[in-house]
This record gives sequence, C-alpha cells and structure tokens, in this order.
Amino acid sequence: MLIGNFKERYADDEALFRTPASRAGLWVLLAAALAFPFLAGDYLLYLANLVGIFTIAALGLNILTGYTGQISLGHAGFAGVGAYATAIAATRLGLPFWAAVPAGGLAACLAGAVVGMPSLRIKGLYLAIATLAAQVIFEWVFNNWTSVTGGIRGLNVEPASLFGFAFDTDRRTYFLVLGAATLLAFGAANLFRTRIGRAFIAVRDRDISAELMGIDLFRTKILSFMISSTYAGLAGGLWVYFAKVVTPESFPLSLSIQFLAMIIVGGLGSIKGTLFGAVFVTLVPEGLRAVVQSATTFAPDAMSWLAPMKDILFGAMIVGFLVFEPHGLAELWNRVRRFFWLWPFPK
Amino acid sequence: MTKTLKSTLAALLAALATTAGAQEEIKIGACQPITGRFAFAGGQLNAGLGDSIAWAQEQGIVKGKKLTYFFEDTGYDTEKAVASFKKMMAQQNPAIMYGESTGQGKAIAPELNSKYKVMYGSTSFSSELADPKTHPYSFVSGPTYSDQFGILLQYIAKGAAKGVRPKVAFFYSDTEFGKDPIAFGKKRAAELGIDVVAEVVAKVGAVDVTTEVLNLKKAQPDFVIFQGFVMAPVPEVIRAARDHGLKTTFMSTFWSMDKGIIEKLGEDAEGYMGVNPYGYYYEDTPAMAAMRKYNERVHPAEAKYRPNSYIQGWFTGMVYVEALRRTVAAGKPVTGDNLMAALATIKDWDTGGVTGKVTFVNNKAGVGRVYRANVAKGIFEPASDWIYVK
Repeated sequence: MLIGNFKERYADDEALFRTPASRAGLWVLLAAALAFPFLAGDYLLYLANLVGIFTIAALGLNILTGYTGQISLGHAGFAGVGAYATAIAATRLGLPFWAAVPAGGLAACLAGAVVGMPSLRIKGLYLAIATLAAQVIFEWVFNNWTSVTGGIRGLNVEPASLFGFAFDTDRRTYFLVLGAATLLAFGAANLFRTRIGRAFIAVRDRDISAELMGIDLFRTKILSFMISSTYAGLAGGLWVYFAKVVTPESFPLSLSIQFLAMIIVGGLGSIKGTLFGAVFVTLVPEGLRAVVQSATTFAPDAMSWLAPMKDILFGAMIVGFLVFEPHGLAELWNRVRRFFWLWPFPK
Repeated sequence: MTKTLKSTLAALLAALATTAGAQEEIKIGACQPITGRFAFAGGQLNAGLGDSIAWAQEQGIVKGKKLTYFFEDTGYDTEKAVASFKKMMAQQNPAIMYGESTGQGKAIAPELNSKYKVMYGSTSFSSELADPKTHPYSFVSGPTYSDQFGILLQYIAKGAAKGVRPKVAFFYSDTEFGKDPIAFGKKRAAELGIDVVAEVVAKVGAVDVTTEVLNLKKAQPDFVIFQGFVMAPVPEVIRAARDHGLKTTFMSTFWSMDKGIIEKLGEDAEGYMGVNPYGYYYEDTPAMAAMRKYNERVHPAEAKYRPNSYIQGWFTGMVYVEALRRTVAAGKPVTGDNLMAALATIKDWDTGGVTGKVTFVNNKAGVGRVYRANVAKGIFEPASDWIYVK
C-alpha cells in the first residue's frame, strides 16, 4: 500500500520514475528480460525479437502520432528505407553492423524529413493520405530500382558480428534487440522531458497556440518526422540482421497499419503503452492460434471455419479495448495500479 | 472400480509400449496458408498433403515406420510462418517440413541450412528455391515457373508453321510471383525463335484493364501468357480482348489452370490453354482413381472434385514418402541430408498419372503438360503429352 509520495523539489516532479516502486519494477523487468533467453526456446525467442523490433518502430510512430499529433500511414515504408539502407551499407559498402544500422536510421531520417514537408500545410486525414502516398512510392522503389534494391529478390545479409562474436542465432540477436530497444525507449522517454519534446506535445494539443507561444511549427513537425522515421529506420536495420534477408514484401502497407494498431491499442502518447501494444498485437494472434490449434486435435475438420475465427476474435478484442478503454492498455495498467495503491481499503 | 481402472491403465500402457516399440514415428510438419490471401488454395493444399501421407501410411509404403502429419495455419504471413516453423521444429522435431510461400522459404533459408537441416518442400514454384547452392534442403514439387514458361514456349514453337516466328506477349503482375520467370522466358523465347512482342504489367485483381488490352491489340500477339495472377484480371483481360476482336490464344501457368476459371469465363473460355504440372482429379489414370477412391471413403462430401492445389499437396506428399522410402530402404538414418540425397536419385519415377515421369534435377522436376479448356464439358483436356524440360 502506498501511503504518500512526497516531493520536495521540482526535479522530483520531472523525474523519469517518480516512485521507488516504479524504479524497482523496472529493474525487475530488466532482470526478467535478461534471464528470458536462457529459459525460452527458439519459438519464444523469435517472437521476443519480433516484439522488440516492433516496439522500436512503434515508439517512433508514437513520437509522431501520439505525441506530436501527426498521423502517418507510411511508417513501414520508413522502416523499409532503413532496412534497405542497412542492407546496402552492409553488402555493398562492407560496413560492420554497428555502422550499417545507424546508416539505416540516417537514411530513414532524411526520407522522413522529405515526407514530413507537407505536414505544415496539411493535417489530419489529408496528411494520412500524403504519407500513404509515401508508403506506396517506397514500396514501388523497393520493387523496381533493381540495381540498388535487388528488385523482387531483395538482398541477403550476413549475420551481425562484434569483435568476432556473431549474432547468428535468435538467442544472440535477442541481446542486440533488447539493448537497442531499451536504449531507444529511454531516449524516447527522456525526449519528452526536454524543450523539443514539450514542443511536440504543444503542437499536438493546439498548433495555433503553440505557434503563438513561439514554437516554430515547421521545424518542430519536421523534427518529429525525422526522429520518428529514425526510429523506424533503426528498427528496419535491426530487422535486416534478424531476418538476414530483405524483400519488397517485408514492409507492406498492412505493417504500417499494424504499427498504428499497436500505438492505439497500447496507448497514444505513452512509452509503456507502446510496449504493451507491440506485445499485444504480436502475441495475442499467436496465442489465439495456439488455442485454435489445440481445438483442432478434437475436431480435425474444424480448421476451415475455426481458423478465420481467430481473426474475428482478435478484431473484436481491439474494438472492445477501444470501447471500454479508449486510452489503451497503458491506461488500463494505470487503473490497475491505482487500485492496488490503496488496496485493501476502498477509495 | 479402482481395480478395473488399474487394469485398464495397465492394458493401455502395454498397448502404447508395443506400438511405440514396433514402429518408429516419422513426423512431417507443415505451415499452411489456410487463412489469408492464399486461403483459396491453402485448405486444399493441406488436405492433399495430409491425405497423401495418410494414404501412404495405409499402403505401408515406408516399411516399419509410422508417418504422422501435423500442421498449423499461418494466414499467409511470412513472420507468422517463420514463427510457426520454429515452434514446430522445437516442439515436435519433424524430419520433413512444408512451407506456405516463397517468402518463408527465403526467410528460413539461413537457419535451415545451418541449424535445422530438414527436408523442406513448399507451395512455391519459385526458381530461387530450386537452387541447390543457396537452398540445399528445399525443393520444388514440380517445375518452377521458369520451367512452366519453358514448356509453354516449347509447345508454341513446335506448333508453329515452318518459317513463321510466333508472336508472344507476357502479361504479368508486379509481384515476385509475376516477375519470377520473365527474364528466363525472354531468353528461352529467343532460343526457340519466338518473338516477345509485348510485356504488359498489371495489378493483381485489377478491374479496369482497357489500357493493357489496347497494348495487346497494338502488338497483335498470337499468344498471351499470364503469370502472377490466380483469377482477376485474367477473365477481364480475355473478355475485353474478345470485345476488341483479338484472336489471340491465352495461356496461363499452374495457379490459373483450375476448372473454376472455365466456369468464370463461360463462353470466353473457348481456346484458353495453359500448363499444369499435374494431372486433373477427374482423369482416368490409376493414381487419380486411387485418390478418388480414398476421398470417397474418407471425405465423402468433397470426393466429387478436388482442385489442382489438392493435387499439388498430394504430389508433394508423394515426393516426401518416396524420399523416405528410398532412405529407409537403403538402411540410412532419416536426416535432411540423406533425404535430399535420396531425392536426387529419383529418376524416371512413375507416379501413375499424378504427373509424368519424374526426375529430380537441381531439386525440381521439370515436367508438365499443356491443357486446353473444353467449354461444353467445363473441364481441361490435354493438348499435348507430358513435356520435359531441364
């Protein structure tokens, strides 16, 4: 039971973790994450890597959409730019992975700056369409600029290695992904304790007021696009070293929508919500598949109608969440936490 | 009560022990695209593969071994498919796996080659997966798309009058599936003295195909070969071409050769042709008769007709079983390396009419037959004998 949480300095109010309990919780989570690869098998590690990479990309989208209020349907495209840039840097230029992945982030950052330009003039749904166009253009380029992207066959990449240590299995890649995701999550959380981050939020809440307060709208929006797509690009770069192949079909529009689903289900404008969303969107369909699969051992012919049920169920769960908790899983988590603050006493 | 329970348990255990002792189990796992974009074929592929293995088990083709088939639905999603592949490998440790797409084959290749090392078949006809250098454990259960183009072009060249260069147009989708055989097709056409007069690219599922058809009209090809579509826009293009008075013969590769397309085209199906690596379910061959008989017994509701994807699944199962049979007969342990070595020994193998004589070279079997639509009967009939390519 939490009795009091007294703060004596302003700095305490702005701290990343405001209670010892939340700090302790984070250490526990980190310890669990470090212990995980020694306990889990290939399948779970593969999913964990997927969750980690999706978390990084979704963090980027949450910075842009959740914190700055600029909707984007081109996020998978940015991840694709990062992935291709990484793959090209690794195969053609022979860069090691610690240079190739940031190169992917940089390439995506530049692409984000260009795609973000129209955001000064267009907002909301119109911006969504403009970014959708970017997604389509990126996909087309991946497909048709054969001399650079390898066309439909894509590019194959050797596993990452550091001082002779090869990240060639899912277990080893996991540490790479976990490290990157942790760093980038802290980066994102800290971003919103700076002037730039607060400017993003001001622009989201009311752009005209933000401008009146002296925030350069164009710069802020472009910056948000650049940071967001850098995250996407880094995620794409890690993806390349995870999948060891990149093809134009790796980053479709449906993935952009999946990223949006992650941040909406998880919680717009919430770092931990992003993690929840990535976990939910990646793992729940897997869980449902396992349930359906086990049901078919009793009725083998039921697969034809049971299999689509999991998609329906998953859709229903998303709708349910949005109806009963519009602020996403992050808010649900907060509610549960608040309940236990005073437990067992009533409010 | 306890006494009966005890004795029942003991009996059960004894039964288990004897069966386990008598037959070594060989597991075959599959990632099947039962839902998602590939659902039109996924269910049938799964049924065909499963039935083929169950049938082989009944016939006792692989002596002293018990074949078990299990599968998961992947929704035609590469990530889910790879996850499901890893899960099955970890939980069941199968000797043979089956995959849902070209994408999955490419995605698992690094680990398949270095870690899992199991025999891997799939839905894909991609020429990339039939490259023993980069994909030593995967094979294509039939001819690749390039081979299918080769068969069609060979058929066209053979039928052409002396001194006349046939004019062909390639009509394909802007996907991996669509572009796969195009480069090879152009090369092969040049070798055979065929002019490729047009290349038209369209979206899968396109509705308005006027521009594309006008391009065809300008080129006036004798033959148009579709690649990379299943249904739309193939019927739309044929219909529009007929409206524009084009006398072209339209051809397709495997996925657009099921009899469903004849129903869709109606009158316009007259003259529609294509290549099928396998025979049709209704054909009068011993293998098809056995397949029909099995279906009448096990799946009476679906025994009347099984689409091509079912036959593809069935044939893949036959290849698995044949590789297993040869490995076991040679007294070798069932490993991916031994199975792939056994696959390479398959030469002039008689499948009883599921397809022609099968010879595996470069992890694929270059055999197929050209079929023509019979509108009155609503079925495809052979227009050639089995054609072999390398």
